[in-house]
Amino acid sequence: MIERLLPFVTLIVLFVALSIASPHFLTQTNLASLVRQTAVINIMSLGMTAIIIAGGIDLSVGAIMAMGGVLGAMAMAHGMSVPAGIAIGIAAGLFWGAVNGALTTRLRIAPFIVTLGTLGIIRGLTLILTNGLPVHGVPRGFSFLGEGNLLGVPFTLWVLVACALAMHVTLEHTRLGRYAFAIGSNLDAAIYAGVPVAFHTTAVYALGGMLTGLAGMIEASRLMTGQPTAGNGYELQAIAAVVIGGGSLHGGEGSVIGTLIGAFIMGVLANGSDLLGVSPYLQQAIIGAVIILAVTVDEFRKRRV
Amino acid sequence: MLLDLQAIQKRFGGVTALSGANLTIEAGEVHLLLGENGAGKSTLMKIVAGAIARDAGRMLWQDHEVWLRTPAEAAAIGIAMVHQESMLAPHLSVAENIFLGREPRLPGGWVNRRRMIDQAARLIAEHHFPLQADGRVEKLSPAGKQLVEICRAIQHGSSLLIFDEPTSSLSGAETEEVFRIVRTLRERRMGVIYITHRLEELRAIGDRVTILRDGATVHTGPLAEISTGQIIQHMVGRETVAIYQRQPTAPEAQPGRELLRVHGLTRAGVLRDVSFSLRAGEIVGLAGLIGAGRTETCRAIFGIDPPGAGRIFVEGRETRTRSPRDAIAAGIALATEDRQKTGLALRLPLTNNVTLANLPAVSRFGLLDSRAQTRVTADYIARLRIRAASGRQLAGRLSGGNQQKLVIAKWLFRRARVFLFDEPTRGIDVGAKTEVFALMDELARGGAAVLMVSSELEELLQVADRILVMRQGRITAELPGRTTQEEIMRYAALESEAGP
Repeated sequence: MIERLLPFVTLIVLFVALSIASPHFLTQTNLASLVRQTAVINIMSLGMTAIIIAGGIDLSVGAIMAMGGVLGAMAMAHGMSVPAGIAIGIAAGLFWGAVNGALTTRLRIAPFIVTLGTLGIIRGLTLILTNGLPVHGVPRGFSFLGEGNLLGVPFTLWVLVACALAMHVTLEHTRLGRYAFAIGSNLDAAIYAGVPVAFHTTAVYALGGMLTGLAGMIEASRLMTGQPTAGNGYELQAIAAVVIGGGSLHGGEGSVIGTLIGAFIMGVLANGSDLLGVSPYLQQAIIGAVIILAVTVDEFRKRRV
Repeated sequence: MLLDLQAIQKRFGGVTALSGANLTIEAGEVHLLLGENGAGKSTLMKIVAGAIARDAGRMLWQDHEVWLRTPAEAAAIGIAMVHQESMLAPHLSVAENIFLGREPRLPGGWVNRRRMIDQAARLIAEHHFPLQADGRVEKLSPAGKQLVEICRAIQHGSSLLIFDEPTSSLSGAETEEVFRIVRTLRERRMGVIYITHRLEELRAIGDRVTILRDGATVHTGPLAEISTGQIIQHMVGRETVAIYQRQPTAPEAQPGRELLRVHGLTRAGVLRDVSFSLRAGEIVGLAGLIGAGRTETCRAIFGIDPPGAGRIFVEGRETRTRSPRDAIAAGIALATEDRQKTGLALRLPLTNNVTLANLPAVSRFGLLDSRAQTRVTADYIARLRIRAASGRQLAGRLSGGNQQKLVIAKWLFRRARVFLFDEPTRGIDVGAKTEVFALMDELARGGAAVLMVSSELEELLQVADRILVMRQGRITAELPGRTTQEEIMRYAALESEAGP
């Protein structure tokens, strides 16, 4: 039980320690910026949670994010409304997620390979689409998504909470979620029980893609441009968040709350290191060590039970 | 004396695996180690082979007390374990597997490949094994892989070999081959510990027997002085163990409604013109040797490997089963040979497994109704007497027999009418077998049709109303339930007079 709570306890300890160590940590400005910084990874990680639970992995989320942001920004720059632009970004994510799902299930290629391939394809297409240049000219109102406040709280936090609740309900209380766990835990048993495996696997990737598209729009909103190079390396952070939160790359394990804690641990570490003037190079090493530590603790817990 | 284990104890967390196990092995004997699943056989053998450490008790090896910390230390003093096939590296050659971790070296640390292959070839020739030293292990049959394991174990002069259920995946002829090898090992004055679930093969191989129950030795002595009935009594610990015998529900005078009819099922090289029917209320046995097409028949009906030709009728209506989904929708259930691989999601709770095939039945307004799921699961736990703390327990924590019941619960909840059981008692201990048979009987009495594939002829004779025999992909005989093992074997193994 203690081990199960460990990620949560770690987060609290980090919080308390940083509050003591730096007078700037526990301020509204800093917490708001922490939320904004981590929202993008957090929302991507929610999608990754479902994918990893279903025994898959998606290495292309960083590229999907960039294409979503770029397409949404282009739409708005060509005069479409902000909601329509956001919808286009999300739809682009959904499309590529579905492509990933369809390729792994229909061609029966390991998702690691498929998404490694689509990572290159999507990133390449995005760069061609933009000529490698950022997309400007988005309406001013678009900044509300990433930088606005609602009831005194960053709007992105509302978005994150809504997405997390929706994902939690999906995983724990719907057929899609139950099938995702079954497929990830034992694919053959799921097939033999008559689970429509191909459809539900594709749906899980599409869901992950949708959230990634939304994350891309938030990133674009914060930068007020569509960056074709956005999200480089985010896939590894998203995977790390899921794994720190107790997800298993063997599938069948993971939870929304765990992933959120995992993503926040990484966010708080980065934010705290900045405040304390720790070199960004060392930050990377610290986060790397945290990933290994978290998984080690989790493995010991599983072995003991 | 080669090995002397005295009052060995071992606990895992709160669970006592061994509470007082004694075992003595002499050079030149084949010693059978028997016990139900969970009796502690594997734990005791892991202690002997150095894979885990004992908590208390003495282990004397050639009269000196030893503490083995790793399998390598055990191997160094002459104790080796013949693992089941999964312990081999399939992409390496036979020679590479035999010498894995102990490769002959050239100066500079390079592997001396020629010497390795030569030595392996000599070892193989010496024992007359049908192996190629430079052949790849993945191309071998299960028996061939077993031979590679044996080569690995005897390769550097072990004096004690442990066989853990070596014949569980082997056919009759292959089993005979393993027996022959074990006998030659005995002639060379080696000690052999032999674990098996197949009580019928005891007499063919063993000299002495030790029986474990609940982690303690309950009997040890010469095999000739104990009857099979007494062995079973010691294993299950009950005074009277009645051999299960099912009373047929459907006397031939009034057979039930035909639930499944298979007509001319054919798959190139595997199935040839397989036709039979199953009626409500009957259990039909399907006998045959390994590779006769029994599992393949089940897989074809269940839509896993759709047949090239042939028709399937469920309750009189023709049904095309192109996937398990189609078969399940038609009311067919398959309890596979390998529960762990294809039957259950072991890392998920019982509840998820019971409801997996029928989630719509526990859904309301598109969401899963957790109370309904809990109720359904608790209901099946009680009805099928599944030994579990609650529906939240992980399926992997159940014993083999209870896992099989969980599979049955899944299909009952799906309201299946035609049950295909492929080796339903594999890996299940004696007591649980009877419970599984009783459940199959209940299914039949409840109006289901049951097909039971089994390699244990005795079981078929105990349970089936009639028995189909397959040989080389075709059905060679249909026998009444009260036939004999000899009669079944005649059609299963011999060129039959029933046809070409």
